[in-house]
Amino acid sequence: MEVDSEELPPKKAPAKGKATTTAKASAPKPKPKPKPKEEEVDEDQDKSKVKAKFKCVFTTSWAAAKAAKLAGPSAPGSKAVPQPASPDCLAGLAFVFTGELSSFSRDEAIELAKRFGGRVVGQPSSKTSYVVLGDNAGPAKLAAIKKHNLTTLTEDAFLELIATRVVAEKDLDEKTKKKREKEQKAIRDSAKEMEQREKAAAKASGPSAASGHKSADPTTQLWTDRYAPQALKEICGNKGQVEKLQTWLASWPVSLKSGFKKPGKDGSGIFRAVMITGPPGIGKTTSAHLCAKLAGFTPIELNASDARSKKLVENSTNIYNTSLDGWMGGAETINAAGIKITDKSVLIMDEVDGMSAGDRGGVGALSALIRKTKVPIICIANDRSAPKMKPLIQNTFNLPFRKPDAAAIRSRIMTIAFKEKMKIPANVVDELINGVNSDIRQVLNMLSTWKLSSSTMDFDEGKTLAKMNEKYSVMTPFNIIQKIMGPYLFSATARETLNEKMELYFHDYSFVPLFVQENYLKTNPARVRGLDGPPQLLKQLELMDQAASSISDGDLVDALIHGSEQHWTLMPTHAVLSTIRPASFLYGTGSGYGGPNAMSFPQWLGQNSKQNKLNRALGDVQIRMRLKVSGDKAEIRQSYIPSLFPHIVEPLIDVGSGAVEDVIERMDEYYISREDWDAVVELGLGDHKDEVVLKKIATATKTALTKKYNASEHPVPFHKAQDLGKIPKKLAGGPAPDLEEAFEAEDEGMEDADDDKKSVDPDDIKNDKLVRQGGGKKASAKSTAKGKASTSKASTSKASTSKASTSKAKK
Amino acid sequence: MLWVDQYRPKTLKDLHYHEGLSQRLKSLAASGDFPHMLFYGPSGAGKKTRIACTLRELFGPGVEKLKIDQRVFLTPSRKKLDVNIVQSNYHIELTPSEVGNYDRVVIQEILKEIAQTQQVDLNAKQRFKVVIINEADSLSRDAQAALRRTMEKYMSNMRIILCANSTSRLIAPIKSRCLLIRVAAPNHKEMKTVLEYVAQSARAGKIPDEAAEDIVRDSNGNMRKAILVFEALKMQTPDLSGPLSIAKPDWETYCHKVGDMILQEQTPQRVMDVRAKLYELLSHCIPPTIIIKTVAERVVQGVDESLKADIMHWAAIYENRMRIGSKKIYHLEAWVVKVMSLYKHFFYDMDMSGFEDGF
Repeated sequence: MEVDSEELPPKKAPAKGKATTTAKASAPKPKPKPKPKEEEVDEDQDKSKVKAKFKCVFTTSWAAAKAAKLAGPSAPGSKAVPQPASPDCLAGLAFVFTGELSSFSRDEAIELAKRFGGRVVGQPSSKTSYVVLGDNAGPAKLAAIKKHNLTTLTEDAFLELIATRVVAEKDLDEKTKKKREKEQKAIRDSAKEMEQREKAAAKASGPSAASGHKSADPTTQLWTDRYAPQALKEICGNKGQVEKLQTWLASWPVSLKSGFKKPGKDGSGIFRAVMITGPPGIGKTTSAHLCAKLAGFTPIELNASDARSKKLVENSTNIYNTSLDGWMGGAETINAAGIKITDKSVLIMDEVDGMSAGDRGGVGALSALIRKTKVPIICIANDRSAPKMKPLIQNTFNLPFRKPDAAAIRSRIMTIAFKEKMKIPANVVDELINGVNSDIRQVLNMLSTWKLSSSTMDFDEGKTLAKMNEKYSVMTPFNIIQKIMGPYLFSATARETLNEKMELYFHDYSFVPLFVQENYLKTNPARVRGLDGPPQLLKQLELMDQAASSISDGDLVDALIHGSEQHWTLMPTHAVLSTIRPASFLYGTGSGYGGPNAMSFPQWLGQNSKQNKLNRALGDVQIRMRLKVSGDKAEIRQSYIPSLFPHIVEPLIDVGSGAVEDVIERMDEYYISREDWDAVVELGLGDHKDEVVLKKIATATKTALTKKYNASEHPVPFHKAQDLGKIPKKLAGGPAPDLEEAFEAEDEGMEDADDDKKSVDPDDIKNDKLVRQGGGKKASAKSTAKGKASTSKASTSKASTSKASTSKAKK
Repeated sequence: MLWVDQYRPKTLKDLHYHEGLSQRLKSLAASGDFPHMLFYGPSGAGKKTRIACTLRELFGPGVEKLKIDQRVFLTPSRKKLDVNIVQSNYHIELTPSEVGNYDRVVIQEILKEIAQTQQVDLNAKQRFKVVIINEADSLSRDAQAALRRTMEKYMSNMRIILCANSTSRLIAPIKSRCLLIRVAAPNHKEMKTVLEYVAQSARAGKIPDEAAEDIVRDSNGNMRKAILVFEALKMQTPDLSGPLSIAKPDWETYCHKVGDMILQEQTPQRVMDVRAKLYELLSHCIPPTIIIKTVAERVVQGVDESLKADIMHWAAIYENRMRIGSKKIYHLEAWVVKVMSLYKHFFYDMDMSGFEDGF
């Protein structure tokens, strides 16, 4: 299936740059015609020999001239990245990219800017140094450029800037310089501090090591342990939440004394436990331990490696804080779960969402525990919204931890790298952090592995490493649809392969096609750009047609996948037909969230369930009418309902209450019940639509219909088995009756009681005796419902229910 | 009661048209060697009426005492299915397609149950019971396969009458085991006879020729529709004189509205508006086939001669895809977009070569 002839531009292999580096470093040969999109290699200064590799054929002015000639169609990969004048030639500059460049994709251009030390921001502001302008720039950004009077660059000018700009120290403005120095100093300082701490630790553990108590040599420890934060200021990101945690812990003893009545400043005072939630690797556990230690608590940690069944949770946690173990048996006493108990402890329940089948009742026990605990409890989980967490949500204080951004982690990582004597530039660190979704732990692990082979890392190596350790995150369908239908995925400069596009479908293969179908018409297709008037409209209709027929193809494949034969191997085909291909025709700028053309949730789901519901209702109508009518469901809907409408609905509109009897007679002829009448109305369309029709019928008429129908007897074509089972349930005192109903029953009961006294029939007494027991139950139910029913009332209601049930029995 | 049900013929000799067919059914019923049968023909042609008449011929008036039972089945995956069964002492009638993909379970369970019990009533005219399977053309392949062997094995206790709109979706082995009986739609003359009979029975006076002509033309061979329309007209204008306006059913008017929308404007926004309307139709239980047919007929009325063939061609293609696929709206919408594109191109007299190839 042809997807898009333009969408697979010459692909650059990510590792290629590096490969050529090593291959050509020894024998640099001039290239007569530089391969389009040759990978820029290295900016590290000590690899000066590499520089020779690029025979820079393009003089910058020539490139500009060529670009001028190329104006018009985009020429993906037509320009090479020039040799930079210095490795961080863009240092201190802030860039904004807008519109579509002709040679580089947006991502590549951003990468270029970052590689050479530039900063890339999303929105232009007065602090932006340059705006790189491509085709079809967003109007908002153009307005901002005008407003702030910013310098704009074309793609070629941008390349030229890379090729020519030399950053002399003196060129850097004062601020940047200072900032840089400050950063450097901070890194050195903290590295020094770390070293001292390690030394101190080594000294302290020295003697105890001799006595057999082992404390690991820091150099043999994992980096994640070795460089775990020891002070609050070392925790990256989530400062506010950590502070909240601290205040909560600090005020815990006071809160306990007050019985958790005072909410305190942030409302945390009424909780006996907190729940920290957030993605892995952002320091949840570390923060919990650190805060506990700093507040003078001894953390007791239970994590997924401990069995946490109901019994163990109850027995091993010392929640009443009554343990004398520590005092009786010396400092080394441990309890049943192997945990050291002290007088001031905090329970850290790590990985609460990992409490699973083996820990039966664990979450329930934990929430029961929280309700009565006398020690603070910190629960840690990844996903707060998981159904398993429900019992905990109510009685814990919520502390959601967010992924810190690269800037928050960078200095910490740089410090560690500095201490480990690794040479890694800041932009590489950023790349690593972004590559793994700000998982600090993973960045450290990656670095410690890298250290084994090399102590430097350049931009490309960083990128490859991050790519190798890429963390898989599942996108939401809304984000996926924005990406698929957005202007970049299929643009001429996009570098995603077909497989990578299909990956998007596999994020959520049941929803993405539905989203595509719902939203594929909501873009301003990039392919009709440049056309105007009728040709544009015609082209767009043509594209829509292609997309719609592809979606139709996709559904045929879907029927094979989910049909009786279950051809799951066709999933990739379905991905292409239902998602990629339609998007490849109609991709373009949409209006994103909000706005009149916002991507919306697929209607199909709601409409489908509505169809099923009405279909069932129609089935009920059909089977009731079956004794008189030979038609099937479709015939009932298409012929009978429109024909019956003038007989059973219109009179109610035109005549009103007076027509009720006739209508009921008509309904009885076809065994149509009151509920079926509703179904008939609901099945109407257009002028017969239920909303329209019901508005026209007076409420009084409707109630008259209901009352009259319920009051009279009706022919029943059949009994449903379920109907028989319902009546005894009611007698057995099911749900408490409505107050209204109860009152009515009582009123009747008064009269009935009198009647009973007057006319005593042996049969009746017998009946009463039998039924009274049942009625008594109901009465008790009533009295509990009302809360203060006196005994006399109860007895009268008893009489009334007995009466009611005898009449029922007679029926 | 509506006339269409009130004056339904009860016996074979009361039937108004297809005399030869009635005759044949009568002799079949008398022969004692009654075969499995497959009644097929468009809706409103009188299939069920003929089946009922045949049963009466076989068993006598006892078959008219109907009762409805609701049976609960358990699927292998422990899902509960409710199936409504209409039965008399002599026959049983079921619609397995009610339960969608699980129709095989119903066929297996009920048929075997009936097939394995013999007729208990010694006074019964025939030794076998009759099973009527409605909407046989929407039986799944599995269900049809389940039917195959049962039809032969239990022939002594049971006869099957299948009722379908067309035989094209039935597998050949089933067709070969049945006596195929085509109940064609009545022609105009026959329909007029029936209308006159109804008018006479209902003491509605004579029906004017023009009115009858109008009704017959409007109902397109659907006898049921003709009588329903006749009664509706009679309610509106009791003497049936003057120019008659036959009221269209709600869904038809709605479909026509959709057709007009397609021709008024051809933009993405309009496609989405049409989509909303199509959803409305689908969710109110109008079969997608009927929708595409009605809308296409409406659209064709409003376009140039040279486009008509194309529009119908694509309607046929997408109707077919709808049957194969699962989400009907996708195909309906694809057709709508196709029509819009065709129309717009025609409007601007553009090159249409792009539409030649394809399916």
